[in-house]
Amino acid sequence: MNKKIKWLIVFIGMLSIPILFAQNIVRYDLTVTDTIVNYSGKEKRAIAVNGLIPMPTLTFTEGDIAEIVVHNKLKESTSLHWHGLYLPNKEDGVPYLTQMPIEPNETFTYRFPIIQNGTHWYHSHSGLQEQIGMYGSLILLKKDDDPTFRRGIDDVPEAPIILSEWTDIDPENVHRMLHNANDWAAIKKGTVQSYSEAIKAGYFKTKLGNEWKRMLAMDVSDVYYEKFLINGQNECKLSQFKAGEKVRLRISNGGASSYFWLNYAGGKMTVVANDGNDVEPVDVDRLIIGVSETYDVIVSIPNENTSYEFLATPEDRTKSASIYLGNGIIQLKSRMPKLKYFEGMKMMNDMMNMDGTMDDMGMDMSLQKMDMNTVMYPEISGDPDMKMDGMKMDEKMDHSKHSTNTVQDLVTLNYGMLKSPFPTTLPKDAPVRELRFELTGNMNRYVWSMDNKVLSESDKILIKKGENVRITLYNGSMMRHPMHLHGHDFRVLNGQDEYAPLKNVLDIMPMETDTIEFLANAEGDWFFHCHILYHMMAGMNRVFSYENQAPNPYLPNKEWAYKKLQAESNTFHFMAENDFATNGNDGMLMMQNTRWSIGTEWRLGYHDEHGYETETHIGRYIGRNQWLMPFVGFDWRYREQNGEVEKNLFGQTNTKDQRAVLSLGTEYTLPMLVKLQGEIFSDGNVRFQLMREDIPISPRIRWAFMVNTDKEYMTGLKYIVTRNMGISTHYDSDMGVGFGATISY
Amino acid sequence: MKSIKIVFIVLVALSMTTSYAQLKNQSSEYVKILGNCDMCKSTIEKAGTIENEAKVDWDKDTKMATLTYDSVKTSKEDILKRIALVGYDSESFLAPDDTYLNLPSCCQYERADQVSAKRDGLKSDMAFMDHSEHSNRINEVQGTNPLSGVYDSYFVVKDALVRTDGVLASTNAKTLLNAINEVKMDQLSMGVHMLWMKVLKNLKEDASKIADTKVIGQQRSNFDSLSKNIYEVMKVSKQESPTYYQFCPMANNGKGANWLSKEETIKNPYYGSQMMSCGKTVETIEE
Repeated sequence: MNKKIKWLIVFIGMLSIPILFAQNIVRYDLTVTDTIVNYSGKEKRAIAVNGLIPMPTLTFTEGDIAEIVVHNKLKESTSLHWHGLYLPNKEDGVPYLTQMPIEPNETFTYRFPIIQNGTHWYHSHSGLQEQIGMYGSLILLKKDDDPTFRRGIDDVPEAPIILSEWTDIDPENVHRMLHNANDWAAIKKGTVQSYSEAIKAGYFKTKLGNEWKRMLAMDVSDVYYEKFLINGQNECKLSQFKAGEKVRLRISNGGASSYFWLNYAGGKMTVVANDGNDVEPVDVDRLIIGVSETYDVIVSIPNENTSYEFLATPEDRTKSASIYLGNGIIQLKSRMPKLKYFEGMKMMNDMMNMDGTMDDMGMDMSLQKMDMNTVMYPEISGDPDMKMDGMKMDEKMDHSKHSTNTVQDLVTLNYGMLKSPFPTTLPKDAPVRELRFELTGNMNRYVWSMDNKVLSESDKILIKKGENVRITLYNGSMMRHPMHLHGHDFRVLNGQDEYAPLKNVLDIMPMETDTIEFLANAEGDWFFHCHILYHMMAGMNRVFSYENQAPNPYLPNKEWAYKKLQAESNTFHFMAENDFATNGNDGMLMMQNTRWSIGTEWRLGYHDEHGYETETHIGRYIGRNQWLMPFVGFDWRYREQNGEVEKNLFGQTNTKDQRAVLSLGTEYTLPMLVKLQGEIFSDGNVRFQLMREDIPISPRIRWAFMVNTDKEYMTGLKYIVTRNMGISTHYDSDMGVGFGATISY
Repeated sequence: MKSIKIVFIVLVALSMTTSYAQLKNQSSEYVKILGNCDMCKSTIEKAGTIENEAKVDWDKDTKMATLTYDSVKTSKEDILKRIALVGYDSESFLAPDDTYLNLPSCCQYERADQVSAKRDGLKSDMAFMDHSEHSNRINEVQGTNPLSGVYDSYFVVKDALVRTDGVLASTNAKTLLNAINEVKMDQLSMGVHMLWMKVLKNLKEDASKIADTKVIGQQRSNFDSLSKNIYEVMKVSKQESPTYYQFCPMANNGKGANWLSKEETIKNPYYGSQMMSCGKTVETIEE
């Protein structure tokens, strides 16, 4: 195997010798190692390349040959993907799709010609490595004699900027917690949106309506991050820029799941490129950069002895990161005010149908033009709590009016404003393949899919070289998704006709419909996926595969490899909980993937009279909302009760003393998120049960209840102390009152 | 045994009080922070102080502040940054302009000259250019179209509703009413004249209803039919620049309502800031 590759490299090397004289080979050696970092006051594992986080900025000039040699010194496999680059498929860096993973202590050489220019970036495409350090800027410069060279844009001082975020929790664990609807992140961010908070803010009906429509509290992002970073630091300074100078910032969003608002303290920003493609300059006050997008903006340094803050604020506005441009006293930019979550909830309620689909009320949304989240932005819709005392009311009113008016005139970039400087039309005579995808999702179980199918449920989508592929995307889910296509730029049909901008990432907001098109001109298997890392790992992916393509020397067995790729984004997630209470142990253990759920619950008393019981269910979630789950079960219980016989509501009897039965049942999620369970047991008994376990009473208090036709009932309260620990009290019809500590994983 | 316990408790209690009084790893700095009054003092100190981490004591006469802080947990820069973010300039940080402007007027201290003087100059240059262009256009229109006064006043009524400002909407509606009365009908072309006569009564009625109240809800309900009639007229009369006929499906209790705008960007007069961008352009009326 290795030998073959070596021969191949030698062979390619020989072939390229004649070209060598004409073309410049630019080589980088990248050594990937484990490292320990401290961003938040705690030492945590991360991955560094050449000792750096972010990975070093790689710079090439159009026409160069890139030769990047990766030395993997990790104890796990890795890969590098060149985001936004046109290159041979085998150099694209997606393990199990374009190459085999680079195994520990292996060296792998990526080698491809640079045939474009612009701001791009690169990152690991293996597991969740991108979250813990494997992202870096990739700058492709124009040649000096490039006909598209723009004076005042391509020749001004510049700086690469890469945005990212840091969490102290191991990303594998973050991923697991997301699938288990663990709301620790919401507690940390203050976005639980519990009943007590709703009542205090006057939104009780809104909260009720929200749960009636079976929605969990929504946030604009799901992960709690300790720190947000620009070029690996929360705050840094680029003091080399002088007053009066223009500066080009080449910004890539290397965050795993965060959209960032970009604001600048030194005046307007001029957007000159997007996703590595030039656009006609457009002045804006602010813009949002989607996960994995790149924007080039030009800013100016207005004054001497002043350093201007360039502020990156994650969409949830919990924190921010800053870089100061210029030398001297720092001119700050005001912080973006906190989101009004209940306004967002109200808006969501209006848009949500009872069957879990969304209704845009005929508004035909597209291209980020109508940001429904605006209802949550205090800077646009006004500050709900004016904190000032009554004393200067008149004056205060005037001021606030003044500020809202000025703020309303903020120019926020949207895709409709992007225009390519040159026509981007596709060949007119090429056959057109029309595809349509609905982006689908299920927040409660963190299932993200396209047409309600995850990657492991879909085959590769075959396309032909030479045809125009036109894709219509509709986002029917409740979150926005940055959809990224490998190896191609697509046109975004945004009303600029032949000057439609070229992009490789399309941010699509809930209820939006967008159309993109590209010429299929690069043979191979190309990934098309949501670039929110945790959505990608949940299966929101597809592969475009060219028909009759030549074999990939790095991936001899493609069928087998595709199965591996599919399996990676449909793994089982483990969850366990036990309440160590004065009246017994109550707990459960669960393994779930996209469709399947295997779970066991137990109630173990401390003596025979209280008894011991377990229920095991293996079920499959049905439908796009996954409200329905048929299951098979096995129940076992033992209790010493001196032959006492219990009757259920239907007059059926059972002693409960000792019972081992199989069952068939169905679970259905009712409005208010109450789970209705109907079960028939092998001894002929029937049981119906209503249950809900996570009613958010206050930010940290959860209420649970259960009642069933065996005349059993339970109610309990839990106070969440830490991510894995809670204090609880409950009353159980079998075991009475108990107090205890709940440990959960 | 018991006495030991008591001694222990007393010791713990003592150490707690001292820990409040004295920060760990304590550092002190004496720095200048601009500001005016007692209100400034409380804002500055509140923003700077964090329990067990930093304490700020500002003197409004000398403008000097004593920063006392735990040098392991925080720094002078962190404290001054927090203070700048609520509006107060210091040696290291300049407050954001909008935050400064939102300070109560008694607190609007005099800023150092360097503060964004150049930048403001730049900005107002740009704004000036935009405005002049804009007003030129309006003048031209006035020269050619006898209805341009009506249209212009319609747009300022709309802008007032976008701002959810009932008082302004009422004043602007009076202007609109005057403009409607002053239209030189003899200058209107035949088709426009016919249509104008048809809608004139309703236009006057809607405009005066908006002028007569300051209740924004009532103004908005009349604005719907006002907009429809203006739209009818505009479709047949001459225009110098495109106008956008826009629609919000949620207004008017879900029945939907229309309005006209000079800009394509949606700024909803039926909801204002509550739903600023709700709606879409349904028709572009070209020249």
